[in-house]
Amino acid sequence: MKVPFSANNQSDQTVSSKPSNCTVNTTPNTNLQDVTTPTSSPYEPKSVLEIQGSPSPVADKKPASDTDNSIVLDDPFQLEDHVLSHQFDDLDSFMREFGLNDDSSPVSKPIYQHSINECFDTNSLQIGQTILARLNQTLRSPIGKPPQRAAFYFKEALQSLFTGLTQTTHPASTSEIIQTIKAQKTFSSISPIPMFSSFTANQALLEATDGCTHVQVIDFDIGLGGQWASFMKELASKADSRKMTPPVLRITAIVPEEYATESRLITENLTQFARELNIKFDIDFVSIRSFGYLSFRAIKFMDGEKIAVLLSPAIFQQIGTGFLNDLRHVPPHVVVHVHSEGQMGFGTSSYRQTVIGGLEFYTGLLESLETANVNDDGSDWMRRIETFVFFPKILKAMEAAGHQGPPWREALVAVGLRQVGPSHFSYLQAECLLRRMQVRGFHVAKHQEEMLLYWHDRLLFATSAWKY
Amino acid sequence: MYSSMPNHSLPLGGHGGEFQGPSDGTNLPGDACLVLTSDPKPRLRWTTELHERFVDAVTQLGGPDKATPKTIMRTMGVKGLTLYHLKSHLQKYRLGKQGNKEETDNLKEASCVAENQDMGSSMSTSSRMMAQDINDSYQVTEALRVQMEVQRRLHEQLEVQSCLQLRIEAQAKYLQSILEKACKALDDHTVASARLEAAGEELSKLAIKVNDCNGIMAVDPHVSEVSMLKEKKIANDHSFISNGCQVSPTVSNSQDAAPRKRPRPIFSNGDVVPLENSTRSMEWTMSNIG
Repeated sequence: MKVPFSANNQSDQTVSSKPSNCTVNTTPNTNLQDVTTPTSSPYEPKSVLEIQGSPSPVADKKPASDTDNSIVLDDPFQLEDHVLSHQFDDLDSFMREFGLNDDSSPVSKPIYQHSINECFDTNSLQIGQTILARLNQTLRSPIGKPPQRAAFYFKEALQSLFTGLTQTTHPASTSEIIQTIKAQKTFSSISPIPMFSSFTANQALLEATDGCTHVQVIDFDIGLGGQWASFMKELASKADSRKMTPPVLRITAIVPEEYATESRLITENLTQFARELNIKFDIDFVSIRSFGYLSFRAIKFMDGEKIAVLLSPAIFQQIGTGFLNDLRHVPPHVVVHVHSEGQMGFGTSSYRQTVIGGLEFYTGLLESLETANVNDDGSDWMRRIETFVFFPKILKAMEAAGHQGPPWREALVAVGLRQVGPSHFSYLQAECLLRRMQVRGFHVAKHQEEMLLYWHDRLLFATSAWKY
Repeated sequence: MYSSMPNHSLPLGGHGGEFQGPSDGTNLPGDACLVLTSDPKPRLRWTTELHERFVDAVTQLGGPDKATPKTIMRTMGVKGLTLYHLKSHLQKYRLGKQGNKEETDNLKEASCVAENQDMGSSMSTSSRMMAQDINDSYQVTEALRVQMEVQRRLHEQLEVQSCLQLRIEAQAKYLQSILEKACKALDDHTVASARLEAAGEELSKLAIKVNDCNGIMAVDPHVSEVSMLKEKKIANDHSFISNGCQVSPTVSNSQDAAPRKRPRPIFSNGDVVPLENSTRSMEWTMSNIG
């Protein structure tokens, strides 16, 4: 169990080229150059990894070869912590490769990864926590380039996982909620991402439910509810232009526990919005836990309603794809899914892909934010967005990363749904949105029945619509 | 400048008559006549027949670029037609031809134009005219089609933009309102707790005063103080109730205004506590401190 520590004694001579890259990072980096302080925190992880790179010393402890790793990969899907760290073992070599191959990425990524490896290699939470403490010194604060910041947040999420913070969700205080709303507002105004997701999803929903008199939407990731404001506005204006009454709209939102304050705010605001637009409106909240037990029986259905389901990666992370089997009993008129390629918190083969994919995704996301110009107060808008918009998602993704199961796409196909492509209008609208926002680097594409949003050449989000 | 018969509409000869306005009768047979409007200032009306003769003459002369007003006038042989008429009409004709030619180029119909020119040189007047007219109408149709397509796309774009605008505004408005409501909720809460603190401080001051002046007190200042406190408390009560949280003011001796969850009406009936009984208030403050 003390392998990491013992290895440190031999650390002095295994100074690789990596430390020399570490000039860009925060102050702890300077310690890296200082070979004579063996107790300096960021130094040890590297050296351990170097040791681990050579097969002999730690062969007894964990597999160092890839073939062994693949065996570990197929380990049974148990969620106990020490077994999780078995799964993390393969993370080690892969990440090492990743860190080695990806020399262009800023420095702390390798550091982070090495440290992660160390956490996971030791089958002990305690040591893991100690290592996290060391990690904390390396990734002390979310400053620096996007990959470093992304790494920081993942580290934070890991830490919460280890310390079991996330087990007890606590209701967000009003001031936290206010911060979240503000951050979301800023995010919406500087990046086309939130509006891309909302509008493409809305467009698919609108087209599918056109002409219906009663619509119920099951929303698995309502957030703050802003998407439904524009949905209702669109319903109202369409009805106006046709001289008809707008349909009756019901929303059932599947929300995390302890969402009371947010639910109240959302109810209040959406109801008011609907009233102003003369739309008959009703909203219900169902907790994820209840939904997990009861599936769609937890939701109230009415005759004559056309059901639309709005999925998101978050729900799959939490309860898997099993509930999709019950869809055919509903049955929904349309299922819309806004997903991001990097956020494969569920349905991936291993933890490592979650972290790697997540790191890549959020790096891209943060980069895309940097090019935006903000005329808002101060420079902490970025921090706010990271803290209140991105970090909760990262946390959820990390929580769920141990779960296994079929990827959502296969699951949807398996229940008999087939994809329908986005309309030309949807495509034009997405293009128009990008032009309007005047953020360079984004572009939309219509490909294989999905609306895609790219940041340079990195696919960030995709919206797909499915029908029976 | 114009014909000497301004108020008469004269039929164009050769094709029968076209009478406009009061006709005084003189119908010149055979030869071409002009149709004038019945405006106070008479202007020449280029009727279809007149224009046809014009086009005929122009093509006879080798096209709009070669023809001159003088030659056209002589070729047409229409009485009353002046150079001025012809100058302006020829210019318009030339421009029209040019526009049409450009459109045909855009539509990659150069062959048509070439054909036109060939036809212009080899065929008789009337057939040339017809061919040119057909070509003209074809070009016009094409131009119209292109224009309609452009307009359709423009319309589509406008629709998309206005739709997008509505949606963006709706979401922005929603976010703004939810932010305001959340802030308001927070403000209510903080105002309540601020008032709570202030009230608590007042109470502690009062308690100190009460302790200091053991029964020997001027009634008025304390009554006023107490009533002030009472008002604050009532206001606090209201805000507490509206907030849905039950908070009672605490004597913030330690400056820790953490509201305790004991619902305790401070002044039960809202009346002024008669301070002549200082012991009662002392009891109250004592019990609150305790």
